[in-house]
Amino acid sequence: MTIKKAKFVDYMGNHASITITDTNDNVIGVPFDPANTDYQEYLEWVAAGNTAEAAD
Amino acid sequence: MSKLKTNTIQHTGGSADNITLDNSQNVTAEGNLTVDGNLTVSGTSTISGYNPTSSRNNRNLIINGAMQVAQRGTSSTSNGYKTIDRWYWECNGADETATISQEDVSLGTSPYNLPVGSGHPYAHGFRKCLQVLNGNQTGGAGVSDAIDLVYAVEAQDLAQSGWDYTSSSSYITFSFWIKSSVAQNFYGYIRSQDGTSKDYAYETGSLTQHTWTKITKSIPGDSGLTINTDNGKGIAITILPFMGTGSTNNSKSLNSWANIDNAARTPDNTTTWWTTNDATFQITGVQLEVGSVATDFEHRSYGDELQRCLRYCQRHAGVNGSRVAIGVIGDSTTGYASFPTKVPMRATPSISVTEAGKIVKEGSAWYDLTSLTIGTSTNDVAVLTCVVSGGHNMSALDPFTMGDSTDFTLNSEL
Repeated sequence: MTIKKAKFVDYMGNHASITITDTNDNVIGVPFDPANTDYQEYLEWVAAGNTAEAAD
Repeated sequence: MSKLKTNTIQHTGGSADNITLDNSQNVTAEGNLTVDGNLTVSGTSTISGYNPTSSRNNRNLIINGAMQVAQRGTSSTSNGYKTIDRWYWECNGADETATISQEDVSLGTSPYNLPVGSGHPYAHGFRKCLQVLNGNQTGGAGVSDAIDLVYAVEAQDLAQSGWDYTSSSSYITFSFWIKSSVAQNFYGYIRSQDGTSKDYAYETGSLTQHTWTKITKSIPGDSGLTINTDNGKGIAITILPFMGTGSTNNSKSLNSWANIDNAARTPDNTTTWWTTNDATFQITGVQLEVGSVATDFEHRSYGDELQRCLRYCQRHAGVNGSRVAIGVIGDSTTGYASFPTKVPMRATPSISVTEAGKIVKEGSAWYDLTSLTIGTSTNDVAVLTCVVSGGHNMSALDPFTMGDSTDFTLNSEL
């Protein structure tokens, strides 16, 4: 998966998860679980200098 | 006809009897007994030193090795976990992308007229296989072109399998059936994931066109291997229809563990399959087991395999009018519904949505979901965050159900 953009999903003012869109415009909801491989890819994307958008 | 009458038989150089006979037709082999042919027992067998290697249940560390379960679908041209459960694939650098699919292991009928005997997986009980159908690679074989088929074994399953993976005298054995429409040799590699990663490259040997071949690789442990007792990736097994020379090098040694070199994962691949339009590559009957011998494939029922797959993937496809989860409305556009997973998953799952479905206020109204994603969840309860457009009669703390034709997949693959 190559991440194009990411956006936080909030609950009660706190980040609850992330929505990730890949370069093929596939969208997945990703939890904050270090064992989740999509979250691992998100962390690599952030480490490369990218930032998720704020929640709506 | 002559008859030998004796009570014992002893080797000329031995000091004790090898075989004793009594007057009740009993024969006792005092040492080891080796039978090169078949052993037929008409009466009851009592085996005190039974070696369970070839009949042990759960010996196959590969889930869905017979390619039965395909929750996500049966055909795809997109990279990732897309079709057959537990099998990841990538097609990179293609002029025309390849297609991965679940196919029938068909009888040997025209045009190939294969014999259905011991050399055909159909005769061994396989009915499904994983197929890669090549596209038309008009640009030839580029250095970054590749198709990878990857199976990842969960680390704790391997760590606790009984394989003494740091000992070079302890083995795991990897076996699978393969068929290609192009006669050539193929490569692959096994990569450990914890500690200092290591690769073990292997080859299939030359395959005959359109002919199923069973491949067996006995792999020793290595003092440099690390496999954690956790829910991460232990080893990844890669089978390669093709990999370009950007990731291969003829300096790579086969059948031994070595520190990873991403520019030399295997020796250079033959390009014939990749440059053949609509070439096919099929595998099934994939087994990884402790020991140095490939035993017969451990066939498991569809239900058993599905249960194992659910740890990594759960698809829920609702039908018109169905109710899937119960929740509480949070505000005018959002509700939160709890969806207990069918079995605890490997990790908190991601969610991908094919069709969002509806919020149902029973006896009141059905509202189309504009988005469905995952909230603060665990590996056994997914919180579904259900969003509708504004202007509906949504009041905080009102109960609701969500469902209808909702179709989503929870994913916690490795």
